[in-house]
Amino acid sequence: MTGNRKKATTQVHHEKNYPRFNLGQRWEHLVLILSATTLLLTGLPQKYRDFSWSQDLLSTPERLELIQQIHHIAAIILTIEVIYHLGRAIYLMSKRKLSGDMLPNQQDILDAGQMFKYLLFLRKDKPKFGRYNFEQKITYWFIFFGILMMGVSGFIIWFPEFFTKFLPGGVVPAAKLAHSTEAIVAAIFVLIWHIYHVHIERLNLSIFTGRLSENEMREFHAKEYERINRTSAKNTDAEERQ
Amino acid sequence: MRLRDYFFIVGTVMLVGALGFAVSPATASPALSAAKPAGMLPQTETVTNEACLACHQNPQFSTTLENGDQYDLYVDPEEFNHSIHGEGGYLCVQCHVDFKPEAGHGFSFNSRREATLRLNESCSQCHQTQSAQEHDSAHAAARAAGNLEAAICTDCHTAHDVQRLKDPASGQLLPGMRAQIPTTCQKCHSTIYEKYRGSVHGAALTDENNPDVPTCIDCHGVHIIEDPTSASFRLKSPQVCANCHTDPQRMDKYGISTQVLSTYVADFHGTTVTIFEKVSPDAITNKPVCYDCHGIHDIVRVDDPQKGLLVKSNLLAKCQECHPDASDNFPAAWLSHYIPSPEKYPIVYYVDLFYKFMIPGVLIPMGILVAMDFTRLMINRFRKPHPQEKKHHEPEQAEVSEKAAEAVKLAETGKSSEKAAKQKKNKKLAETEASENSAAPETPAQAAAANEAESTPGAEAASENPTSNEDAENE
Repeated sequence: MTGNRKKATTQVHHEKNYPRFNLGQRWEHLVLILSATTLLLTGLPQKYRDFSWSQDLLSTPERLELIQQIHHIAAIILTIEVIYHLGRAIYLMSKRKLSGDMLPNQQDILDAGQMFKYLLFLRKDKPKFGRYNFEQKITYWFIFFGILMMGVSGFIIWFPEFFTKFLPGGVVPAAKLAHSTEAIVAAIFVLIWHIYHVHIERLNLSIFTGRLSENEMREFHAKEYERINRTSAKNTDAEERQ
Repeated sequence: MRLRDYFFIVGTVMLVGALGFAVSPATASPALSAAKPAGMLPQTETVTNEACLACHQNPQFSTTLENGDQYDLYVDPEEFNHSIHGEGGYLCVQCHVDFKPEAGHGFSFNSRREATLRLNESCSQCHQTQSAQEHDSAHAAARAAGNLEAAICTDCHTAHDVQRLKDPASGQLLPGMRAQIPTTCQKCHSTIYEKYRGSVHGAALTDENNPDVPTCIDCHGVHIIEDPTSASFRLKSPQVCANCHTDPQRMDKYGISTQVLSTYVADFHGTTVTIFEKVSPDAITNKPVCYDCHGIHDIVRVDDPQKGLLVKSNLLAKCQECHPDASDNFPAAWLSHYIPSPEKYPIVYYVDLFYKFMIPGVLIPMGILVAMDFTRLMINRFRKPHPQEKKHHEPEQAEVSEKAAEAVKLAETGKSSEKAAKQKKNKKLAETEASENSAAPETPAQAAAANEAESTPGAEAASENPTSNEDAENE
């Protein structure tokens, strides 16, 4: 009995954690948090120049210069991160190893509909989600396009002389408008949507720890949980048959 | 001692002269005391203007100063009598306070300018405010730096022909006086006057006596004339232009936009200039202000066919002063004071429109969903059995037999559209779980419940089955 229990314990202990994000992804997220926060903090006073807190920060031309330089450095770091992210995706795609888990699909719309019903008390349970649920996909793609938009517009307003060599001049004020507006939208989005889902709905630290517990998997990624267990069970079966 | 003698002589003369002479000073004095505070004036020195004019109305009357300058001592009585001071009955000696009755009047000057500067100090006896302002002006600074030619009161107002400039009732400049202002400044600033004369403002003033256009003092001020080359003047200059250019009463007549300041402030250059003006007014900045593009004194209409900024090459040339790499498209990066519309800068207009819909379109549903999710989360939490109660029942559940656990698991998988073919694997799972510890909940629903009741199922497991945890650690 003791031996049996010991064996079982080992297995459960092993199962309790499900790998979710690899080390590279966790680093990417950390770089993203730090650079985006820096960009936000140095961008806000430039946008809201009428407020006294902004004017306190930008009190001299040297300070403004400094804040812009910090903004530019953070922008370069984030650009490198974006290039790495896209480059890795392209590399994996070329090897046909890129997982399609993050791609939006029809199931997401169905899930969203069911989730909506659940929120209206028309359903008892939340829908079962796969590796990434529709909420997480929305977060990823919203931030993805937001960063793309801010990156492109940011470089246009950083180097207007260069970009107007082949683009109409109007893109500069348009980029300026898009840059600061998109930033606010993205910031509010992250603060409300993302922070709610990873801190308030439940504390989900998997992007830092790299793993999810079994309970979390079962509750929030039931399909993925089932799929993994099916595979592992299959493997165990195969082992047993041998 | 001499002074006392002098008072005695004057007093005697006055007493002897009695009535006839006494009339004119007697009528003048009430006016004087009303015009200015008593005690300021050398009241004991009542020397009549006639006494002065006895010599000084001679057009040939002059003297040679120490440096050889001929100093004209002639005063045109007509001119003085028609000046504001002459009409007010002021006495020569009220300004010429150093007067002594003897020949040469007891003072000597090295040069004409020195004499003028000395006499100019008398103005401040009555005109303290203006004098104090002038002391802070660029002219005073230039004099302090050694340029004695920099303007003093009499250079602009003259000495004996001082004219009334303002309507005392309204405080406004009298009609006809505006046009004299540029010609007054022109006496020294002739090059600038020529530029101004040809500008849209100067031409309108000179040719039509247009009351809407600025004269020199509308931008540079009166008396407290600032150094216009200073950093602070540069930073606040947009506000100077805005005084008139945001006033619809003045601008509408000419079809000029009053949005010029707000559109300037909304863009990069104006934003920076405005911040600096507020937080560090002495900051040096190369960000353009109005006059960097529109010109300082030679301001022309934007639709001027030669020099106007609507001529693309003219604007590009302005851009290139700071952006040497600017090419043909670059000037359009500046919205030219336009507010984007489908006709003007459609790309900016439509980006703006997109965000006008996108922001509420994204953030409002998002907020609602989060609020709904949070509501359901809270309701679930309070609807569940009390955590204590739940905990109490759990040991019972822990005693559920292996078979029962298996059955639950099977039933659950059956429900969740997983087909019976897969039950075999699930059985394995269920076995593992049941044999391990019961704290790991059996169904997803229970899992959720347990998760919410006790946010650390691991800890729970540890407390209920400490040995297993130890085992795990040992391995």
